[in-house]
Amino acid sequence: MYETIGIWVGAFFTLAIYSFLYKENPVYRLAEHLVVGISLGYTMAITWHVTLMPRLIEPLASGNHWILLVPALLGLLYITRFIPGIAWLSRYPIAFLMGTAMGVGFPLTMKTDVLRQLEAAMIPFYQSGMPWQVVFGNIVLIFGTLAALIYFFFSKPHKGLFFGTGSKIGIWVIMLGFGATFGFTVMGRISLLIGRIQYLLGDWLHIIE
Amino acid sequence: MNIWEKMLNVDRRWIFLAIGVVSIIPFLIGVGMPITTTAEVESIFNFVNELDKNDAMFISFDYAPGTQAENTPMGVAVMRHAFHNNVPVFITSYFPLGHGMAIGALAYVTNPSIPGFYQHVSFEEWEVFRSAGITDKDELVAAWENDGNVLPEGARGWVFEGRDFAMLGYAPLFHLVILGMTASIEAQYPQDVNGNLLNEMPMLLEHKSLREISLALTTAGSSACRAWIVYGREKVGVPIAFGVTAVMATDYFPYIQSGQIIGQMGGLRGAAEYEVLLAQNEITETTDKAFTGMDVQSAAHILIILLIIMGNIAFFAGGFHKKTAVKGRG
Repeated sequence: MYETIGIWVGAFFTLAIYSFLYKENPVYRLAEHLVVGISLGYTMAITWHVTLMPRLIEPLASGNHWILLVPALLGLLYITRFIPGIAWLSRYPIAFLMGTAMGVGFPLTMKTDVLRQLEAAMIPFYQSGMPWQVVFGNIVLIFGTLAALIYFFFSKPHKGLFFGTGSKIGIWVIMLGFGATFGFTVMGRISLLIGRIQYLLGDWLHIIE
Repeated sequence: MNIWEKMLNVDRRWIFLAIGVVSIIPFLIGVGMPITTTAEVESIFNFVNELDKNDAMFISFDYAPGTQAENTPMGVAVMRHAFHNNVPVFITSYFPLGHGMAIGALAYVTNPSIPGFYQHVSFEEWEVFRSAGITDKDELVAAWENDGNVLPEGARGWVFEGRDFAMLGYAPLFHLVILGMTASIEAQYPQDVNGNLLNEMPMLLEHKSLREISLALTTAGSSACRAWIVYGREKVGVPIAFGVTAVMATDYFPYIQSGQIIGQMGGLRGAAEYEVLLAQNEITETTDKAFTGMDVQSAAHILIILLIIMGNIAFFAGGFHKKTAVKGRG
């Protein structure tokens, strides 16, 4: 019963959102506002049930884990932003989070996104027994990376064989990347439409399995 | 206004209508176009296929409902594969909205009305066997069936909560949770979403931290997936696989080339490939929603390609490349 009602509500709001494709209308506006409101309400409910209750309130209520009062009080300082006289107190939890995130994340992020990627770009063009496709791929990878980097080197004018030709090749490499991304983006958007059509034709109308 | 100008000024609603029609027809006539699998998806499949009941993996639902059409089939496919191989699965979520996605995916895999489902056994139901020390999957299934339990028709196997899966769900600041799980999973998740204590779960007792995890698959609709590389892969070397939306796919190919992830499912196509691999290896009887959707994907792409070609023909044939603005568009 409740499942059926849920499916009908879902179908109605799916169609309400798609009605925007014809033109903007009050039904679309209603659906749009409900998405925002329900998402926020759901997030609050989940946060209460899976975070605040089991990780803070229940341990404190059990009489143990008094140490949890420290992060709880630190978190509550966020709310002081709404009190002009002591709004500056909200900087402490922000500073704590920023400092922690930077301290923990910076070395690992450097390793992940810079050092590992540099390491992956430092490969031999050719080794004994390497298939020609791999050799060709290695050449494209190395020269493509260099050309794209030359394009983003602005301290010298993009003229001459090295900077001029290099930056032109770099543009082509970047455009190829954009083209691939655009193709994937189209696929992604169509996929979202497919998901909704499967819902409407399957779950709602039972035309397809 | 000549024909070329009309073509370039066509009301976009006709295009929306055409895409809508083209997207519905393949569902009704069922084309079933073949799908070839790619190395990026095969590598994930082969990796999971090598795992068994002595391993454990994470499947993290790191997306919101907006991308569930792409991400959910990925999580569902890999979860089915893991259950088939008796690989215990820890299920997590980066976002509050992903919490519901994770629960929905597990409910789908264990839904008796879905062909090839896995019969769910809750943590309380098999407490007697757990207390008796029967926690090995094969021994547990034998004891469970000897106790008079019969596998329902159409089910592909039993999945015991706490033995085969643990629904951990959402936790705040999840990147720090990943970091914390490199030392202890239980410290980050003392209990699952149903209130069951993790330290009573056999799968947790055998795999206490991310260091003892064989694979983490993140199905993501945002850069949340990177947290698994930064805090999981780099910290303790846990192998990572991505299941990302098509829009994000090109951003993460460099991680495959550098060996930081073992493979990647990109968009609905990636999920469909995994479904094909499952069916080819008789892990599932048939393919599922992602594969069905690929017919529509192909038809819509053909239409979009035709529209791009027509638009370019009109643009050049009409001589608009020599003008500064297209007539009717200011």
